[in-house]
Amino acid sequence: MKLRIEEVSKTVPNVGWQPAWSPAVPARLPVRPRRASLRPSDLHDNRRALMVPRLLPAVLVACVLFASTRASAQASPPAAHEDAELDIMHLLSHQGLHNLDDESWNVYGQFTYISSWKLPFQAPYTNANGSINSLLPGAERSFTGTFSLFFGLKLWRGSEAYFVPEVISERPLSRLHGIGGAIQNFELQKGGTETPQLYRARLFLRQTFGLGGDHVVKASDPLQLGTVVDSRRLVLTLGNFTILDIFDRNSVTGDSRQTFFNMAFMTHSSWDFPSDARGYSWGGTAELYWEEWALRYGRITPPKNPNQLPVDFRIWEYYGDQIELEHDHKLFGRTGAVRLLGYRNHVFTGRFDEAIAAFEANPAENAADCTSFNYGSKNSSAPDLCWVRRPNVKLGIGINLEQYVAKDIGVFFRGMYSDGQTEVDAYDPADRSLSVGAVARGSAWRRSLDVAGVGFGMSWISDIHAKYLAMGGVDGFIGDGYLRQAAEGIVEGFYSVNLLKAVWLAGDYQFLWNPGFNADRGPVHILGAKIHAEF
Amino acid sequence: MPNSSQCRALGFAVALLAAGLSASRTQAQQQSPGFAVERFYPSAPGGGWFVMDTLGMHGGLGGAMALTLGYARNPFRIDSGSQNLAVVSDEAFADFGFAVTYSRLRLYLNVDMPLVITGESGTVGGYSFAAPSVNPGANPDTLSDYRIGFDARIFGQPCGRFRLGAGAQLIVPNGHRADYDADGTFRAMGRILFAGDMGHFSYAGQLGVHIRPLDDLPAPGTPRGSELLFGVAAGSRLSVGSRWALLLGPEVYGETAFRSFFGEDTTGIEGLLTGRLEGTGEGPQLRLKLGAGGGLDSNFGAPELRILVALEIFTHHSDHGNDGK
Repeated sequence: MKLRIEEVSKTVPNVGWQPAWSPAVPARLPVRPRRASLRPSDLHDNRRALMVPRLLPAVLVACVLFASTRASAQASPPAAHEDAELDIMHLLSHQGLHNLDDESWNVYGQFTYISSWKLPFQAPYTNANGSINSLLPGAERSFTGTFSLFFGLKLWRGSEAYFVPEVISERPLSRLHGIGGAIQNFELQKGGTETPQLYRARLFLRQTFGLGGDHVVKASDPLQLGTVVDSRRLVLTLGNFTILDIFDRNSVTGDSRQTFFNMAFMTHSSWDFPSDARGYSWGGTAELYWEEWALRYGRITPPKNPNQLPVDFRIWEYYGDQIELEHDHKLFGRTGAVRLLGYRNHVFTGRFDEAIAAFEANPAENAADCTSFNYGSKNSSAPDLCWVRRPNVKLGIGINLEQYVAKDIGVFFRGMYSDGQTEVDAYDPADRSLSVGAVARGSAWRRSLDVAGVGFGMSWISDIHAKYLAMGGVDGFIGDGYLRQAAEGIVEGFYSVNLLKAVWLAGDYQFLWNPGFNADRGPVHILGAKIHAEF
Repeated sequence: MPNSSQCRALGFAVALLAAGLSASRTQAQQQSPGFAVERFYPSAPGGGWFVMDTLGMHGGLGGAMALTLGYARNPFRIDSGSQNLAVVSDEAFADFGFAVTYSRLRLYLNVDMPLVITGESGTVGGYSFAAPSVNPGANPDTLSDYRIGFDARIFGQPCGRFRLGAGAQLIVPNGHRADYDADGTFRAMGRILFAGDMGHFSYAGQLGVHIRPLDDLPAPGTPRGSELLFGVAAGSRLSVGSRWALLLGPEVYGETAFRSFFGEDTTGIEGLLTGRLEGTGEGPQLRLKLGAGGGLDSNFGAPELRILVALEIFTHHSDHGNDGK
């Protein structure tokens, strides 16, 4: 049996990025659940626009699979923690008071404050005809502050229990309205307030069953006890978590608190995974790791009403199913991974075509006169989803690629296509999306804990979704009262400077065009700053 | 000069205004906005008992984690003659505790997660109470007030006949008064703790002050400001094999408001029959605790029935007596 030390955090949900490059990277913080949001869709006709994202994944998958060599276990490269890291557990270890390699418990923490300034932009109309979901054209400031503690405990052999209390204070732009798949700060939650709120972010049990193969070292991290597991294993997770702890991980974009500010780079913008308004779900997942392959399945709870906090625990009736196949590889000697993700939601939502048909058949069934859950539009000449909510199915499929192209430099690509027939239930309104970019660690310029990145993202809505918005309809996030359909785009660049090993200061610029998929509005310039600490 | 009719009109207006002000004040007083009804404060992680503390901190750097699950029946029930209202009839919670110990010192955090809080709405004695409605579906991630505490063993050795310590807690508001899991204000506690072991016999106790700004007088059953905390526990320890011990014994604890010291409606006393199975080996040990009981005087937050189960993992050093030095 060989002992692999490289892939330390691979199985680790959320463990942010731990690219091959730097072990010392603070990247240990879980990818944050995020916020919630919305998105729409339908697909029929954005075909031309989708041609590229649809073909590109196929080409890349083919290239990677055919060119790949058998890689070490998991995708995310390695990265054992290094002495450069400064945190509680490593300090204890250095004092001989804690065994990082075989932990019975661990505790980590993080603090992140992000401030965003949106500059004024041009918009011929805002909240037209009583709609309520426009991004306001004036200058605005938004912020989030989060503080999290990550408690991990080994209960018996192969088990890990985690509890994460978290505090958040936030002020979104325009009450979190007007942006589709490219919300400028991934930390924002629906329904958040400036008054700090403490809540339970995670509470789950993980059980690992070894099935043989090589030994794989899992380094101590938030949401990961330091231990050794088999390269062939079955991992079951049950409880309260964000599905992003387990699915759609990407070691290049890694921990969002370390890299991009924009939500478009945290996961697929068009993946409407069920969750509560904070981005967390209840449910269970199963992961089968078999050398360089991994197969995952999960079922999680949706909100009772779209984009709200209360959860519907009737998981046999309303749920989101996710399945993901992952292959880790080495391409020209550099580690990489390919992940194919599919999802099927069976949730209580409204279809755009049915909302339009209901309004056209009876104009009294408009947005201003809703008698059930709705978003508060006062537009009496617009359809609304409140009239047609019932159990509906939403489907989507996506691909996630990561590849290291040089020492400490990685590139990533994500693309997803969702059916776009129903409203956003929990994430954001995009129906199709792609994102591509690169992240580099500063070892090349002797700042090994610094991080820099640039990313480009696009998202689309389906034609029926666009028709609904053009008629003045709204969903949980967008709806200007009118719409000239267009793809929403984002370009972002950031640089994060490390101070004192455990603190990062980052500057960020985002250029957002066609906010809310509306060609009549924008473009928008957003400046950002972040302070992030891990301990 | 106003004439008589003008005076009458003015007088009438003043009377109306006064009546209106009086009515509005009365109406405001009649609505009870809720408060932290739970007066069961789990001991610090690793503390041994459910409420009392063994003051067993010793050795080098160590720690403890604890999960306490509890259910309380009728923790807030108002009996007023013919009227009987269970404002909080059922309450279930999970309390997570995390502690770091070093030598005689302990720093800890307790986070309380309400699972279910339900009851009845109604009016008693002219005061209206709205029933709480907390459940996992509607409140999937709720955490109520949390406690940050510090304890120190001042006198005595672990396993000695007598140990004396002191502790302080800060209770940070996070819950909602309408859910009956928070006062909406910061609170604090200061306690004198004592404990000891004599052969198979163990005991512990506390006396302290709960600094509580909330005073909802005269709404029945509501807080009356700061309270005196008291409690004792005693039990017999039996060895179970070479690495486990079983301790069985009661805990009695309660509180009374200084404003109406040991008054009938401002004092709650609760008793628990407890048992705990705990590891006695070296290093990380497991402790399983069970408790059942209820209010000896079912007032002021003492429920008719309480059931508790707790799981703790704590560091145990065998160098008793030398504090790790």
